[in-house]
Amino acid sequence: MDSYILLLGWAGVFLPTALGAIGSIIGCGRAGQAASGALLDVDSGYGRLVGVSALPSSQTIYGIVVTMQFNRTVSLDSAPGLFSIGLLVGLALLFSAMVQGSCCASAINTTKSKPEVFGLAIAPAAIVEGFAVFAFIFAMIVGGNIPGSTAG
Amino acid sequence: MTATTNYYSLVASLPHMPRSFEIERVPISRIQLQQRLKLLGDRDKNIVEQVQSFLLWDRQLPERTDDEVEMEYDRLMKSISNSLVRDIINHRMDIRTITCALRRRRLGLEPPTAVGQHTDHIRKNWQHPDFRLVREHPWIPHVREALDSGEPLQVERQLLSATWNRWVQLADRFYFSFETVLLYLARWEIVDRWTRLDETAGRKKFDELLTQTLNLEENVV
Repeated sequence: MDSYILLLGWAGVFLPTALGAIGSIIGCGRAGQAASGALLDVDSGYGRLVGVSALPSSQTIYGIVVTMQFNRTVSLDSAPGLFSIGLLVGLALLFSAMVQGSCCASAINTTKSKPEVFGLAIAPAAIVEGFAVFAFIFAMIVGGNIPGSTAG
Repeated sequence: MTATTNYYSLVASLPHMPRSFEIERVPISRIQLQQRLKLLGDRDKNIVEQVQSFLLWDRQLPERTDDEVEMEYDRLMKSISNSLVRDIINHRMDIRTITCALRRRRLGLEPPTAVGQHTDHIRKNWQHPDFRLVREHPWIPHVREALDSGEPLQVERQLLSATWNRWVQLADRFYFSFETVLLYLARWEIVDRWTRLDETAGRKKFDELLTQTLNLEENVV
């Protein structure tokens, strides 16, 4: 039973990076596919379209930072906290990246026929990013209280 | 051909469809559209083919009987499970059936033996001006008035408008999916039909169809 709890603890350390990366893969994939399609229909502004498709990659960076914060020798005291927070923040990063990818795809689709609304079109993607940042910051704060933390 | 459709690429590659069909030219030419549709997966391409061959006026064979159309309709409805595709087919059949009924009544003929869900209802309400269908199809009075006043272009505009409004409303609910592609094609077809409306060409086509039908009857006799 102890080894199972320790296993969950280790999973909790890496889950933010893994789930964040999965979300970024899906999000960047969706937006990137939309950008590729849009290239067939525009004569200029290619860089801007492809640039927008990279927005969902930030969730992986947040995941890496949380994993670095959680990285410690896992004990029976710290494992439940690491797993709970790691899983929840990972899920938040996963879904935010997926949804952000869809927002970016819509923004690309809108911008190709109406370039003047580019700023407004990416606003929904920026709002979704905001929620990912909230999850990331509070994971860092709450993670600081887990036993064995260098900050705690 | 690809096994599955990449809807994000396909939808983003299609030019913006305006909110009104009364524009001077289609947003994308037929050739370009066909090229973009190569991004469709095998299954989606098959469904689009089936729907187009059943619905597009250009592909209708004059020698096809009502029974054959009904059989084709039943076959399609059995083979297609997508609710939007079924909705598109039913809506187009309803419009054709009701328009046919309005024209036949105006000419003093019997109710049509057409395909669709309203055939029996129309027969029962044959004497009612709008066949008691105005709640579901608010365009009927406008089309009836245009038919009565002998304005074929107005009739066409009302019919296209009724279909167009329905597709626009539905298109607002979908983003990057098969439904988005299908509704785009449905609206493209309307714009294409509207932009190709030409009186001279229409007369020529009518004469061709008339000659074809008369030749068929001669062969039967």
